[in-house]
Amino acid sequence: MNNSNHKIMPVMMAPRPRPNDRFQLQSWHGYVLAAICVAAGVPAAFAATDPGQAGMFETLLRWMPLLLKGFIFNIVISISAMAVGTLVGAALGLGQISLNPFVQKIAWIVTQFFRNAPWLVLLFFAMFLLPFEVKVFGLTIPLPDWLKAILGLSLPVMANVSEIVRGAIQSLPSGQWEAAESLAFSRTQVLWRIILPQCVKRMLPPWMNLYSILTMATVLASIVGVSEVMTLTGQALAAEGGRSDLLIPFYSFVLLLFFAYCYPIARWTVRLEKKFSVIT
Amino acid sequence: MFKTITKRTAMAAALGAFAFAAMPAQADVIDDIKERGILRVAVKADYKPYGFRDTSGAIIGIEPELAQDVADELGVEIEFVPVVSSNRMQFLQQGKVDLLIATMTDKPDRRKVISIVDPNYYSSGTNIMAPKSFGFTQWEDLRDKPVCGIQGAFYNKKTGRDFGAKIVAFKGTAEVYAALKAGNCVAFVYDDSSHVATLEREEWADYEMPLPTIDDAPWGLAVALGETRFHDMMGDMIEGWHKSGRILELETKWGVTNTPFALTMHDQYK
Repeated sequence: MNNSNHKIMPVMMAPRPRPNDRFQLQSWHGYVLAAICVAAGVPAAFAATDPGQAGMFETLLRWMPLLLKGFIFNIVISISAMAVGTLVGAALGLGQISLNPFVQKIAWIVTQFFRNAPWLVLLFFAMFLLPFEVKVFGLTIPLPDWLKAILGLSLPVMANVSEIVRGAIQSLPSGQWEAAESLAFSRTQVLWRIILPQCVKRMLPPWMNLYSILTMATVLASIVGVSEVMTLTGQALAAEGGRSDLLIPFYSFVLLLFFAYCYPIARWTVRLEKKFSVIT
Repeated sequence: MFKTITKRTAMAAALGAFAFAAMPAQADVIDDIKERGILRVAVKADYKPYGFRDTSGAIIGIEPELAQDVADELGVEIEFVPVVSSNRMQFLQQGKVDLLIATMTDKPDRRKVISIVDPNYYSSGTNIMAPKSFGFTQWEDLRDKPVCGIQGAFYNKKTGRDFGAKIVAFKGTAEVYAALKAGNCVAFVYDDSSHVATLEREEWADYEMPLPTIDDAPWGLAVALGETRFHDMMGDMIEGWHKSGRILELETKWGVTNTPFALTMHDQYK
């Protein structure tokens, strides 16, 4: 059929590993980086300790339980927003490859709209447009701040998952569709039994990347006053009377929390990518 | 089958984002508070000593104590809602809080959207904190110099527009103090009462509050528009605070030098 090219190219090529590359990033590089950050913060903390004030470590230790509570909040927000965003986003992604042109168009518009809107703006919309409680048939359902933050952050997640799903489905060679159709599978059957199972592997690494980015973005909720770790850090610093020597240690602590949580996810993503890069 | 599913889910996704439009219907807020058994008050959590957190996470300070007085008067429990300048009025309008005591300056345009109670309960003015070595004596000295401020504070506008200072705005006071020490700006424009408290500390011995305080502006305590009964009750409470010297007592308790405003009001209502 293709006369100009006699060589048959493989559908996907696995990136060749380069084990002898001296500059290849290793997992311990990340931990070294974190250690350097901590080490750099320590002298700054010791330099400006007045005799009348509590030491920086002592102060940080006193606030640590509260800050950790705030960080758990960040994790809860990120996991919930990811769950909501993934469910709705998967449906939206399937909508984007629908054969119905109307559904396809709507799904495409919604995806593009939320994917290209700044996360902070979506968060502001969710915070100030949603009422604080909804009355349904005399039943009052409260919508607390953290719930609004989850809804606000799940919107961009939804749009990004939609694109991940669409991209994964379209990345499969069309032969899969054709072969399945020749075996008299219906479109729904092809999608659920043949296409999607193969897509899951391809979607997993970008999906986990998205989760890391979302976790970092949960500090945006501090601007709208949700009591997460960033808000509490600011309030702790204010309660200490604006001591300028505490600024670096406190924010370093927040950085370290996020690093400790997100870095393993990033490493895991890299491993999964390697595992799935084999030709399917 | 699949088509209808995708159609439905896509529609739900599109609509779901905007679908909430239910508005709470309210009778009288005092009845609501008593029925609920909880008074919800918007307070600051990053403004020492008017409202800040202790290490357990509880919100304490002058304003939370005033709010507690209101809850005691009504015979209900209290719930503090930490707010920032950018969301406090929305929370009151939405009905998320019943009362707002959050270091808010009383301004005519704010009176249009929420019901600020007379008389004012507190007041503060604008001033700068700067190294003594600069020797500033008048506001005009700040022209074309970098001056630190807090994002969203109303002092910034005036200092920038009328006196030609270049405002460098930060998120919180801690960041500003660091910038001031590092020499990124020549002064910090903020509440005079805050400066007085900071300058008492040894760390700031080389700094001063050299200029005459300007824009002495009262702070407003507010309830939602149309809540006349609660509004009147709060008016009586504020008068009571001034009369009994409660505000002066709280200032002393939280380490603030008695302000001229609080002293004058105490004299007036005594």
